Amino acid sequence: MTIRVDGHEVMPRGSVLDTILALGIDLPHLCKDDHLPAIGACRTCLVLVDGRVAAACSVPAEGVVTVDTLDERVVRIRRVVLALTAAMQVEGPAGGPLCGTTAAILAQASIAPAPVAEPEHIDASGPFFTFNDAACILCGRCVVACQDLQHISAIGMAGRGRATRVTPGASVSFRESICTSCGSCVAACPTTALAPKGAAS
Amino acid sequence: MVDHGSPNPLWERSRFLPALHSAHERDGWLSGAAVIDAARVARIPDAEAWEAATSYPEFRFAPPASDGPATCMGLSCVLNGAVATPGAATQSCRFRCYDAPVSGAEAPFPEEHIRLAGPLLAADIPDFGALERARGMPAEAALALIDSASLRGRGGAYFPVARKWRSALAEGRPVALVVNAEEGEPGVFKDRAMLCLRPRRFVEGLAIACQVLAPAALVVFVNGEAAPARASLVATLADCAALFREPPQVMSGGGGYVLGEETTLLNAIEGRKPVPRLRPPYPVESGLFGMPTVINNVESIANLALLFRGSVEGYRERGTPEAPGTRIFSVSGRVARPGAYEFALGTPLSTILAAAGAGPAGPAIAVLAGGPSGGFLDPSRVDPPMLPGLLHQTGAVMGSGGIIVLDQLSQVRPAALAMAAFNAAESCGKCTPCREGAPLMADVLARGDASRALELAEVVGAASLCGLGQMAPGPVRSALHFWPEQFR
Repeated sequence: MTIRVDGHEVMPRGSVLDTILALGIDLPHLCKDDHLPAIGACRTCLVLVDGRVAAACSVPAEGVVTVDTLDERVVRIRRVVLALTAAMQVEGPAGGPLCGTTAAILAQASIAPAPVAEPEHIDASGPFFTFNDAACILCGRCVVACQDLQHISAIGMAGRGRATRVTPGASVSFRESICTSCGSCVAACPTTALAPKGAAS
Repeated sequence: MVDHGSPNPLWERSRFLPALHSAHERDGWLSGAAVIDAARVARIPDAEAWEAATSYPEFRFAPPASDGPATCMGLSCVLNGAVATPGAATQSCRFRCYDAPVSGAEAPFPEEHIRLAGPLLAADIPDFGALERARGMPAEAALALIDSASLRGRGGAYFPVARKWRSALAEGRPVALVVNAEEGEPGVFKDRAMLCLRPRRFVEGLAIACQVLAPAALVVFVNGEAAPARASLVATLADCAALFREPPQVMSGGGGYVLGEETTLLNAIEGRKPVPRLRPPYPVESGLFGMPTVINNVESIANLALLFRGSVEGYRERGTPEAPGTRIFSVSGRVARPGAYEFALGTPLSTILAAAGAGPAGPAIAVLAGGPSGGFLDPSRVDPPMLPGLLHQTGAVMGSGGIIVLDQLSQVRPAALAMAAFNAAESCGKCTPCREGAPLMADVLARGDASRALELAEVVGAASLCGLGQMAPGPVRSALHFWPEQFR
């Protein structure tokens, strides 16, 4: 059974997002890491799946009939979600108000960057990387990389709602935590919230 | 049951939340060391323990400031005159809305607040005739009986019970049964009424479910602060121990409205951060520790005791052909006779309002149906039959049967803002539209920007990961629909 994506008849591949990307459509996606299972947290890859708004990363392609990435309503909703994401970020040590993938995606979506403010919290205690809370969009990729890929569980998402923060535990810095500096979280981070030391300059 | 002696490390994780809950009951708060101790009991890493523990709104992480009873600031209490006094402690809904305004901890549900009893809330029956009948039936016959009565889940989604059970059994692996008695919706107290006053009906229903599903794991998850309901359930289970092959595990946590979302509840039981999982896989395919899992509400389970005692025809005498039977409505706010009312499904809203004596100081101006996941409606303009699905296109639902009555126009705006703020505060934080959008929606509504609030309502509703965010726009959208002038 084929799947119709923006008018193209193609074979389904993994998730709806996989199918869209395989077609060469540059659909923004922030919390889906190529090497990790879907998290479904950032809701950036919203498309119409058989007429319903859905995150493409979390819908298996098998059984889907039509996917529309360009529908006026879904594009509008996607942009508002991206604007909400952008508003989370304030200027970090990397120098830009928006960084990495986010900046590129927002440029693509023509959304103005969020206002600049002081970073709330930078943890530079670890030997190899820094964590800048101000650049974090709570996508969860670092946590999945640490807990489910590396099976170290040095970090988690403490608190809830807007107070959620990536942390290495109760009042513990990265240096005091069980972090092994494996670098998986840094590699997974789509912003500069987790960045190798030296990269900032 | 969840076997605490099991060598399987996956199962050890389920020791985490009970250990946290008892530390919190013992000390009144959780120190970092107490969280680490619980992590050691369950053999989970510190950072995972910390992220899970800090996600429960009812857990304190500093000693409580004062010993005085905290004033309940739930909507029904506020409508009945509760005010926050400077310096004194306040708390969110304490689920004694039938006694509003209240302060202090939960109390056993009083018999006199069962205002209208049908078959579910009728006095408990001393024998276990329904269970005996179920035991004489093959599982397939029992499923066919539930099917023929069209029993639908009473948690709020009204999914057909037999279809859910069959899906789990069709996996061909040992199944888990989880009963959700978390009941964290402001204005809803029906599970508390059932567990405090009619626990045997629930326990008999639970034994029937065990007979059909033969679950390898059985957890009843009771709201962490509903101590009277939990005590009543535990005592009844002890009395009825002979009905179960192994005693059901009764578990409590630290609250959170999002635990009404079933995959979030599964994460909580597993000692993980209580946030929703992606579906697929659905819980019936892969739920608690990967087992095919049936999650049912207290009231759904209690219905089994009725169904297996009488005839299907008798059961179907109440309600509609598509939605037979009764449901317990929790009615509070500005009514003369607040409490639990058991009405047939399909009963008009006006009948329920009349029974409760809506609006002691005048007619009911507005009704919130379905709480923070439902919506407001104007009972003088619409009078829907109480059925599954939307009661009004702008958001009102029957949900879990919560009905809060407002009798002054000036209460509409603060009530809508309170519901919007509740949803924002109860967002688990996993997905961006709900975490960032729900607070902003509340904020712009408070500032009088109705069009921006409606834009955000569309986005939060369409883009959020789970039902909490998807349903969060209801109170905002419905209040703006019926009373736009109140928000200018």
